[in-house]
Amino acid sequence: MSLLGVTTLTKSFAARRLFSIDTLTLQTGESYVLTGENGSGKSTLLRILAGIEVPDSGLGHYQDRCFNWQPYPDWLRREVIYVHQQPYLFHTSVADNIAYGLRVRGVEANQRQRLVAAAIAWARLTHLLATPPQKLSGGERQRVALARAWVLKPKVLLLDEPTANLDAESRRQTIDLLRGFCAARTTAVIACHDRDLIELPDMRRLDLASGQLCVGSFGIVSSSTSPSMACESTTRCR
Amino acid sequence: MLMAMPLGIGIGYLLATLEFPGRRPLIVVTQGLLASPTVVVGLILYLLLSRQGVLGPLQLLFTQTAMVIGQVLIALPVLIAFSLAAIQGADPRARETAVALGASAPRIAWTMLVEVRFALMAAVCNAFGRVVSEIGCSLMVGGNIAGVTRNIPTAIALETSKGEFAQGIALGIVLLVVALGINSAFAFFQGESRR
Repeated sequence: MSLLGVTTLTKSFAARRLFSIDTLTLQTGESYVLTGENGSGKSTLLRILAGIEVPDSGLGHYQDRCFNWQPYPDWLRREVIYVHQQPYLFHTSVADNIAYGLRVRGVEANQRQRLVAAAIAWARLTHLLATPPQKLSGGERQRVALARAWVLKPKVLLLDEPTANLDAESRRQTIDLLRGFCAARTTAVIACHDRDLIELPDMRRLDLASGQLCVGSFGIVSSSTSPSMACESTTRCR
Repeated sequence: MLMAMPLGIGIGYLLATLEFPGRRPLIVVTQGLLASPTVVVGLILYLLLSRQGVLGPLQLLFTQTAMVIGQVLIALPVLIAFSLAAIQGADPRARETAVALGASAPRIAWTMLVEVRFALMAAVCNAFGRVVSEIGCSLMVGGNIAGVTRNIPTAIALETSKGEFAQGIALGIVLLVVALGINSAFAFFQGESRR
């Protein structure tokens, strides 16, 4: 079932057209890896889907509701969570960071505490609770950011290169957590170059190249290229 | 300071985050006002509050209220300019993270101010320093009336002009101790530097 989609989405920086996507539809409960060369627009696409950046043109739909980016609707922000490549942690505590989204949503203190405790256990962060967030390693920050997203039970999770610049152990732990998200049937789009992530079971593949988006074995994308070119792109992605 | 802080920091935040025509000239003017002599601020306020001035009917000249207005005007450029710099210099991911986690505009503003609190408290300390050490504006719009509009800097100036240096030095020490105490309180709210 279609969850989040965009049509005729374009983005340029100055005279350079970054991408032009005719349609992109994310299915409920499916996980996608978004691949492409550096500078191909992967992060920008995720940021647009999350409402952090505004496209030049395009329309979106979430289930049966349409939206655009002028402004990005508040109700959709509650469903879609974006995590930076290098997540930012607020200068409070690990627990407060995880509780931030719950506080924003007005979750009452007792329930918030219970949910944060569950998220801490899920991401195995108990031993880091007393550590100031700014003293955490890259992998630990990534896990705190994933716990901060997990606790909100988002319908759509957008992750920008979650395993980039991590050592082997941190990568393994991060990928384990991502498996948890996938198992929970969260619709996830993960921009990455990490082969271990790309090869996770049931992971669909999106490839952004030369401003066009094509899809792997489960094609749900069309681009503004001619049919033959789109077919060629799709073949290249497989 | 209690009046100037929310006003100055609020304007600084809006200048840092909103795009509107005239924003850049406004920033330049604010930064230019950092160098304005307090006696000039006092003179302008004096002209506004004097009997023939626009605000003359309010009869505020030579009152504590006039001195407070003057000190707010002196503190505002410092608070605005330094808050603006603090918020513009913040990590852009801080705002994006708050947005991505669904925060409302007021919550985003509060989050950003908390994130840059070290720099903000430096702005507050700076503005407080400017206010507590100024004499020109207080003399002009307060009139240095004993028991009514005389504050420590104007008292020091008066005692020194009378040749009462010991009294001036004693008042100076009191002023420094008060300033140190209040700055220590600011430092408490400032917290640790992030690095």
